[in-house]
Amino acid sequence: MGKQTIRERIPAFASILGLLALIAAYYIVGLIRDANVAYGLKAVVNQSVVVALVATGAVFIYTLGSFDISLGAATGVSALLGAMAYNATGSLPVMFLVCIGVAVAIGFINSSLASVFNLPIFVTTVAMMSVLSAFMLILIGWNGAGDTIKVKARDVRPLDNIPFKVAVLAAYIALCWFVFTLLPTGREAKFIGGNPVCAKLSGIDEKKLAIIASLISAIGIGLGAFLTIVYAPTLNKDTASSIGMDVIIAIVFGGMPVSGGPRSRILSAVVGAFSMGFLSQIMSMLNLGSGYGQMIKAAIFLLVVFIALGSQRGKLLTR
Amino acid sequence: MKNLKRSLCLALCLILALACIPAMADGNVKIGVLVSDATSSEALAFRAYYTEYIAKAYGVEFIYSDELTDAAGEKSAIDNFIVNNCKAVISFSSFDRPAQIDQCDAAGIYNAVATGTLTDEQYDEYKDYEYYVGAIGPSMDIEFQAGYDMAAYYIDQGMTKFGMFGGGVPYYVDMHIYRAAGMLTAMVEKGGEGANYKGADNAGAIIGQIYADGGIDTGAIGNLELAAYVGGYDFNDAWFGKLSQMVGTEGIQAILTVGSGVDVLGGFISGSGVKLATVDSFTPAMQEAMDNGILDYMAGKFAASIGPIFAATLNAVNGQPIRDSEGNALALGQGYWVATSSEQFAQYCAVDSSMTDPAYTKEILDQYASSEVSYDDFVDFVSQYSFDEIVSLKK
Repeated sequence: MGKQTIRERIPAFASILGLLALIAAYYIVGLIRDANVAYGLKAVVNQSVVVALVATGAVFIYTLGSFDISLGAATGVSALLGAMAYNATGSLPVMFLVCIGVAVAIGFINSSLASVFNLPIFVTTVAMMSVLSAFMLILIGWNGAGDTIKVKARDVRPLDNIPFKVAVLAAYIALCWFVFTLLPTGREAKFIGGNPVCAKLSGIDEKKLAIIASLISAIGIGLGAFLTIVYAPTLNKDTASSIGMDVIIAIVFGGMPVSGGPRSRILSAVVGAFSMGFLSQIMSMLNLGSGYGQMIKAAIFLLVVFIALGSQRGKLLTR
Repeated sequence: MKNLKRSLCLALCLILALACIPAMADGNVKIGVLVSDATSSEALAFRAYYTEYIAKAYGVEFIYSDELTDAAGEKSAIDNFIVNNCKAVISFSSFDRPAQIDQCDAAGIYNAVATGTLTDEQYDEYKDYEYYVGAIGPSMDIEFQAGYDMAAYYIDQGMTKFGMFGGGVPYYVDMHIYRAAGMLTAMVEKGGEGANYKGADNAGAIIGQIYADGGIDTGAIGNLELAAYVGGYDFNDAWFGKLSQMVGTEGIQAILTVGSGVDVLGGFISGSGVKLATVDSFTPAMQEAMDNGILDYMAGKFAASIGPIFAATLNAVNGQPIRDSEGNALALGQGYWVATSSEQFAQYCAVDSSMTDPAYTKEILDQYASSEVSYDDFVDFVSQYSFDEIVSLKK
């Protein structure tokens, strides 16, 4: 390992540099378009915090070289049941606990099924996504109040503020960073993601780690579900439906390979989620129409990932 | 490889810079538009009327949301409109209308509901909000009537055996439930003595029954018969199989659809002899379906039907919101144009698709987008929504 030059280090920080470039572009475009930039920052936090929470937890699963496609549906079901619990009890703590509890239960089922049937987590989450999507419709039907489940907006409004959301996100990131960086769990997960055969021969229990990863991820899902209700307390069958794809984009945008392994980083998810938030705001200010906006977003996404993965091209054992 | 990176970066910067040029040039009033449907022919027709006719005629800039799927999306989109200094939001999205009004009111920008209405309870709560302009569109009563008229049209011709496509009924889409309830109510009322739908013999009970079931059951309704029913938008082989089976049901004479009839059933109807009725919009694709005998009856919103809510919104932005004598916001019903022949459809379509002489032209709207207009004048204007009435307004 020789000393790295600045040029060699750039790919490792490409995602953070990308975020800083997007923030700069946001201010420049906002100035040109005479936009309400301060309000826009609030909007970025509001629009990014749920994805950041779910994606931060999902880093554990992705680090294992696995993949969870049911994140959106799990967030949706947790939010619906949390809202129903609130309507039944009128208690925000109960709503919070139900959101977390349901998400943990779903995560436990996912990982247990994967362990019992010796299947990749990805396979069980595909099945779980279908089950949960159908369950959302059943829940809405049970609720018997049209096509939505609602919590009174004024009841959750006191929590719908930026300091609370940032505090929740910061606390969860701290928890994940602690587990990922300071406990053996993180190192073992990276080992499995990097080389599952060697990890197994070294005595690392892949099934146990899969369950731990699912449970940690589930806490993020539960927190995301809770903040989803706080932000928009009218829920329907499509609530949180885009989160699954947003999480994948956020993680890749944040510079982490979806194949997991030693280059996995907790902060990738947060950087990616907020990069997406700023990019969306820029596209909105430019009013290009969703078609052109999507194309430019895709171009920027490719560019950032291209640079971020630059250091790995041509190397052996890139995972 | 380095050159490729540089080229990519350069291309990206160029795209962003080019994108900024038109943005820097404008100084128009900005209005945000919330949409939960960005791709249907009806949605495209509405968008074309605003962006290709109204925007040019009035020098306003419309900023459209992405296609929204939930209340969180609505809230994010309104946040984006506020960031963009929009003066008003016109909403075609109904996941959480009260939240939209609250959010706009808190930000001090106007909110108007297009092609829909608030419920009575919602209206009572928001009618005196300073920044709530009002709603113009088919109320649930009008949706119910559209379904009722469709079914009655065929029953009055002597038809007795029907199929029904329920669209969003399983997802509890209110307007689809009310249209379906209107169809069933017509069957109950015209089905002879003792006719009922699962024991329900009036509109309220039928609506309640559909909400309770989340679907519609087939069976006899007096001397009429609902012989087949398909709901949802599964778009898989099994679902298409059910649609095909419905068209092939022995003796079925007409299929009543709450919406999207041509899109989901057009391929099966051709050559079957079964009549197809739907609620959609006046587009060339529907014209072709009518010309080819696939579509027999259509109740459609016309693209320029969103002209009056724009006029009301512009008045509010200009500091003269239209209010009734008690200071309440607008709550006006606006129904459909109904075409039952190819010629009639062509006549409606020609007016509706014109970007130079649409149903509501600038000359007509100018009379109502003005500080001179009274609440009663505006109500009278909106109530004249039939094709013939609008043609007479142009004269």
